Amino acid sequence: MTAKKKCMALFLLIVLLHSFVLLKIDFAQQAEQEKTETTQEEVSEKIVPGPQGIKESTGIYVFITWVWLAILVLVYFLRLKIKEVDRLLEIRFLSEKKK
Amino acid sequence: MKEKNVKKDIRSWLDERSGLSAVFRFLREKKIPQHKHSLWYYTGSAILLFFGIQVITGFMLVFYYSPTLEEANSSVARIMTEVPLGWIIRSVHSWSASFMIAFVFIHLLSIWITKAYRKPRELTWMSGVFLLILSLLFGFTGYLLPWDDLSLSATKVGTDIPRSIPVLGVWVTKFLRGGEDVTGDTLTRFFGFHVCILPLFLLALLVVHVYLIQKQGMSLPLDLERKEEKVKELPFWPNFVYREMIVWLVLIGILFTVSIFFPPSLDKAADLMAPAPEGIKPEWYFLFLFQMLKIFPAKILFMNGDTLAVLLILLGGIAFFFLPLIDNKPAERKGKIITVIAYLFIIYVVGMSVWSLL
Repeated sequence: MTAKKKCMALFLLIVLLHSFVLLKIDFAQQAEQEKTETTQEEVSEKIVPGPQGIKESTGIYVFITWVWLAILVLVYFLRLKIKEVDRLLEIRFLSEKKK
Repeated sequence: MKEKNVKKDIRSWLDERSGLSAVFRFLREKKIPQHKHSLWYYTGSAILLFFGIQVITGFMLVFYYSPTLEEANSSVARIMTEVPLGWIIRSVHSWSASFMIAFVFIHLLSIWITKAYRKPRELTWMSGVFLLILSLLFGFTGYLLPWDDLSLSATKVGTDIPRSIPVLGVWVTKFLRGGEDVTGDTLTRFFGFHVCILPLFLLALLVVHVYLIQKQGMSLPLDLERKEEKVKELPFWPNFVYREMIVWLVLIGILFTVSIFFPPSLDKAADLMAPAPEGIKPEWYFLFLFQMLKIFPAKILFMNGDTLAVLLILLGGIAFFFLPLIDNKPAERKGKIITVIAYLFIIYVVGMSVWSLL
């Protein structure tokens, strides 16, 4: 991977994480706003889903953080595997073995 | 040593009966061309990923959903409020449908622009257009299932559109609704379409589509094919599959994130006698058609405006389906004009959708 591509990947990662944090803030603000703005009547008519209670919302945030961490780790290992199989392809290891 | 022999025995036993080794051999020998447009090859598998998620979450939802007039809305409310993590499952189902349709559009447009439908891949394109229609029908039938005000009104508008088609129109509307109006019968009918008829058709078509892709191999961009240069190829297994896995992981992460932070809400149960609420809008993928119908004048010369608009949409759909036959000389002037039309179509769809939202 060239330095340019590495920079690009890093930039994308930062944007992704940044948007994740922004989303989290936005979601919290939105929920708070909805709580204060909607009347009791509207609440009984429209169901706005989301985590109920601090325990569930914390659980959800922890879950999504773990999901992204797991993805990042898996992507890191997959990239190592890709490097390895590309190297084997380049030295024609598999085709030599077949012969 | 003994363990190795057992594994070998099981494998040969299975292979003797299923012939799976031929499939694995094919996948090992399959090659994916590498060039500047290779990125588009990943869109097809992304569609498969989202379709798989749709099937799994759909199975989960069907355990709790009840497709009757009295219980449809309350069963969705129950899924969202009482079933553990039910709101996330519903949200993932809804978002993955949107992602799937978005990727079907991107996939088809990329094929249109790179002219990958040219000989001998005409049938692959045609089966792909059918798959797009089926995906849109999935979205349309699924939209009514929560049975709230918005979904009822949108379905009324949507099922009324075919009425403008001469001769067959009234019959099509009646067939879709299961009567003159949208009622509980329509709900049951749409549920049947959504969970039984459409999946069967989609699976059958998907098998044909994937078979045709494997038979013809991956298409090369037109300019590369004309140069007749040797293109670098990547083995499908494992080099390409590992790359695909990265794309899948990132897409799964994005899907989970948006599903958790932007779950779809649910309005109160629809009232069949109530007037349509203000500002009804279909799902985003129908917005451009909705806006087109909205801006068409009521009468154009001697013809009804709605009829003309629906006939134009039908004509456009037929031309889209037969595109590989129309664009039979992709390298010549005609082919270049069709590429320009593809870009204009993208601008038109985006423009109309944005206009509809304003």
